[in-house]
Amino acid sequence: MKNGFSIFIAAVLLLGISWCAFVLAPVIQLGDEKQTVMINSTDIYPVQRTGAATLGLQVYRANGCAACHTEQIQQNGMACDLIVTSLGKNSSALQKVLAGSLSDSFLTTNDLPKTIRHGISMEIASSMSDKITAAGGKAEVHVYATGADIERGWGLRRSVAEDFLWDSPVQLGANRIGPDLADVGARLGDLNWQLQHLYAPQMFVKGSVMPPFRYLFVKQKKGAVPSADALQIPPGWPKDLQPPGGYEIVPTEDAKNLAAYLLSLRAEVPLHDAPYTPAVAAPTEKSK
Amino acid sequence: MSDEPKTISTNEQTSPAERKTAPIWIFALALILLFGGGVYFDQYSGWFNPQVYSPYENTDQLEAWQPKSGEAAVMAHGKQLYESVCGTCHNADGSGKPGQAPPLAGSEWVNAKSPNDVISIPLDGLSGEIHVKGETWNASMAAMGAGLSDSDLAAVISYVRTSWGNKGKPVMPDDVKAIRAKVAGKPPINGEQGLKALEK
Repeated sequence: MKNGFSIFIAAVLLLGISWCAFVLAPVIQLGDEKQTVMINSTDIYPVQRTGAATLGLQVYRANGCAACHTEQIQQNGMACDLIVTSLGKNSSALQKVLAGSLSDSFLTTNDLPKTIRHGISMEIASSMSDKITAAGGKAEVHVYATGADIERGWGLRRSVAEDFLWDSPVQLGANRIGPDLADVGARLGDLNWQLQHLYAPQMFVKGSVMPPFRYLFVKQKKGAVPSADALQIPPGWPKDLQPPGGYEIVPTEDAKNLAAYLLSLRAEVPLHDAPYTPAVAAPTEKSK
Repeated sequence: MSDEPKTISTNEQTSPAERKTAPIWIFALALILLFGGGVYFDQYSGWFNPQVYSPYENTDQLEAWQPKSGEAAVMAHGKQLYESVCGTCHNADGSGKPGQAPPLAGSEWVNAKSPNDVISIPLDGLSGEIHVKGETWNASMAAMGAGLSDSDLAAVISYVRTSWGNKGKPVMPDDVKAIRAKVAGKPPINGEQGLKALEK
């Protein structure tokens, strides 16, 4: 060991460099991440989970859900839609502009609002929108995210650091044997569906390789009054999934917490660092 | 046997690799790679800004792609703010509360051509007599809108002026800004007289 000291120094240096790169640098970059405000709103995002959902994260972790499910939506790009919302008073002037280069078809007031261009860049969309405004009409430019995950309907935008603010530990996942769950609460927001699916996944997705989590449910004798939280099993399901007469299937606390956690996964609000145009409720004029 | 070590040692001494300088192209290649790396870093790193994620390359691009809120989005935002800030007294449908808050739906103050009155009331508060739809009201209102930003208050007022059958025109954040400067530091408006005085 005549070089013991130099080996020691070299080891400290190497570990120190990787610690700086993989621990210190991310903490400096994202360590003070805070709640933010949604686009076009004063609502804070993300709000803390309910107690049940916070406990559910630990059930998710204990059952190894992250071995087959990711919680990270990817995005390859972004694009714009150009939507004409009003033809204005002098519609012939606008029709001229539209017929010139923007729209292939003749627009009438009944068609509105109409998407006349899809998948264009922000630059082109803004200049077209300006032309329409100059001709007295009104147009809106809607931004949306693109990419395979978005097309699958798994989410509306990419995942960003804020989405994981209340996750401890973060359940990113690396394998996609099942679908991504970052936005599952918005996609499949029915508590009953989530419980039924945990109980018998194959009844919803034919050939699903997801193991049934039936041990998160208990079979118990029906009391004088059936339990309020008993699992509603559709009568069409096979006999071995039905409880025997006089019995009922009831989700355990773990199952309820896990379902609450799944419903709390809603990484879909538009943020400044992952922008898109949210769908807006119909204008107030129509609600009259 | 005895020759071999000798040959090796002579080889070592005269090894051509020992004294040769590194070829210049290695330095050139290293510099080109360094330059290329720098350009790539400049374009795609976002300078390690925690707000910039791919596919966005930098903050400028991120700003350019922020959705510009259309009229519908402004109205939806205004509705939401109205229901949390104003709706408790003036009701979600703008009908007001007897003895407490006059109606906004169909009110001549809300539908007035100039939006100045309906902007200055939430910014400065109002106490004293005011006639709304043929009734005399003598209630007082705190400066509920003073805490909202110009664009937020503009959204609320635009929503009020275009909803429930009201036929006013929407209000721009700049209108609110101008009135905010006008009423700054003044006591709450004293009824209709105060509103008239403010117009001057």
